[in-house]
Amino acid sequence: MESIKLRKITSVWILAVFVLFIVSIILGILMRLNQGGVINQNPVTFYANMTTHGLTMIGIWFVAGMAAINYLMERYVKTSYTVNLIALVLTVIGVLMFWVSTFIGKFHAAWTFLYPLPFKLLGAESWSTLLFLLALTIFGIGWLIWSVSLMTQILRKYSISQAFAWQHFKKNPSVDTPPFILISMITLIGVIASLLAAVVLLALLFAEYFSNGSFVNDALLMKNLTYFFGHTIANEMLYLGLAVIYELFSEVSGRPKWKTTWYVALAWNCTLVFILTAFFHHLYMDFVQPEGFQIIGQMASYLASLPAAGVTVFSVLIAVYRTKMKWTLTNLLFFIGVAGWVIGGLGAVIDATISNNVVLHNTLWVPAHFHTYNAMGNVLFSIGFFYWFSTQFAENIKPERFTKWTLATLLIGGAGFLLAFYYGGADSIPRRYSVYPAELSIGAPWAVVGAIFATVYLIAILVFFYNISKRCLKILSSPS
Amino acid sequence: MHQNSILLLFLALAVIAVIVFTYVYLSSKNAEQSEQGMAQPLKKRFWFLLILFVILAIFASVTIPKSPYFLFADETPAKIVHVSSMQFAFFLSEHAIDPKNPSGEPIELPVNELVEFRVTSLDVNHGFAIYDGSNRLITQTQAMPGYVNRLRYKFTEPGTYNILCLEYCGMAHQIMRSSFIVK
Repeated sequence: MESIKLRKITSVWILAVFVLFIVSIILGILMRLNQGGVINQNPVTFYANMTTHGLTMIGIWFVAGMAAINYLMERYVKTSYTVNLIALVLTVIGVLMFWVSTFIGKFHAAWTFLYPLPFKLLGAESWSTLLFLLALTIFGIGWLIWSVSLMTQILRKYSISQAFAWQHFKKNPSVDTPPFILISMITLIGVIASLLAAVVLLALLFAEYFSNGSFVNDALLMKNLTYFFGHTIANEMLYLGLAVIYELFSEVSGRPKWKTTWYVALAWNCTLVFILTAFFHHLYMDFVQPEGFQIIGQMASYLASLPAAGVTVFSVLIAVYRTKMKWTLTNLLFFIGVAGWVIGGLGAVIDATISNNVVLHNTLWVPAHFHTYNAMGNVLFSIGFFYWFSTQFAENIKPERFTKWTLATLLIGGAGFLLAFYYGGADSIPRRYSVYPAELSIGAPWAVVGAIFATVYLIAILVFFYNISKRCLKILSSPS
Repeated sequence: MHQNSILLLFLALAVIAVIVFTYVYLSSKNAEQSEQGMAQPLKKRFWFLLILFVILAIFASVTIPKSPYFLFADETPAKIVHVSSMQFAFFLSEHAIDPKNPSGEPIELPVNELVEFRVTSLDVNHGFAIYDGSNRLITQTQAMPGYVNRLRYKFTEPGTYNILCLEYCGMAHQIMRSSFIVK
């Protein structure tokens, strides 16, 4: 079983994620209020806040998923507390450096830091780019060590073919690979691949930065690397959440544990391939990219939905359909989160269709779909885990009062805030505009609607934060 | 219009998803202890996957040929417009643009004839997005340093068309714009 130290460090991760999440939501609301003309920020401040919002959100939901699978993995294999602690310390140092680069240094190249923008920022302090790149390096080191360490621990107990559950393609396999181990393995490979791409990207950026103009990168190569890294890590963090669902959904529902079958094994092995090639859909509007890659982008994006919908989503629906089960906040959040993931996925598949992308690329449709499967999907997976974790060690858990109301608030806030993005996208409103030009002034009222509903969503998050964090603080103050 | 159909399709699919999830949730809430869940789930899963695969295959085969890379690929453009972008302006010209001293000129394009925009950037990545008279995004490409993207389009309506930057390019990204006339 897990140690008290692991319990405590998981509590610290949860508290840190919640605090950073609340700050990032507030930054997001300020952005929508600025776009709506309610407040008036300097464009550099707006874009610096946008950069902070984006990278903080990606970072916290990635580490939330990692902390959750690290905690649950202890059920199967021993994990390294030291590595977990190193990842925590480096993440905190990285966040401090990153926030200094944006809040003080006004670094504002967006979380994707698309080359060569970090080198050509006007209105930012000259040191901010270097500090931002160093912050990314710190994150990269911490997260790479963590992912490699978890994968190594899996491979100490399971052979490579067992970790990929290949023995399940035969009848009556002698060893059972738990779904949690299979999904963690597949996801960690994707995470490591994306982090290695980030290492190459950073090395090339540093090379140009220190070359005094004698070395210049290729913009197309850098764009491919950027989106391979960005797309993959943003998707893998969702799959970390799915690993948690495969492990906990049946358990908290009082149902038999899910087992790996041949089609679960096949689905997740296919997912690994599709997820690593779908990033090409970010480059559809770069017509110089070879056409074959563009078609692969659309095909992989479509095919990725088959294992997701046909296996994971279908399994969740089968598990619930006409089955008497214990409903708690945890499995309810998982269930709603899967619905949010599906709806965001629908928006994503529509956008990953090249002929639609021509009129949707870089409009508000993009934040619309990824906020759907993050804010109403992945976030709920993680909060479901946080809630489950926090109640494991508390005595006399009373049913939370107002849970229904909190969930209703979350759903209303989430739906309204997302619909404002979708309608804005369909109205051709660009993303990443601090204010809208006169002819696209329809974007402003949508932004105000988005800000109001995002505030409603924030209220629900604050209630979850209050309930979960008070129990996490108790875990932290309990004797070791 | 294209975007409205997309939005309607999305909303319809999202509503179906919400109905399915709500129905399944309620079926669990109202289930008796003795109920056994779904009968023959593997068979149903197979059919669900097959139907989804067929729908996606139809979608892919209908939409991929409409990708911008294949549209007008065999035709010769009646007019070529060179576009150089830089923080935070577009230069449009019927002649090649000197990257060291970029300058543009007012552009007038013919209606119902094929136009090719040769789009590049002199500094960071930009977007080259064309909005029609009713402020709808009708087509776009990226402007990338070191590369030229060729965007082909046939304008069917005369009028003024605006160009906006759709790839975030820094502090004045939101005011980077240009326009041309189609007659």
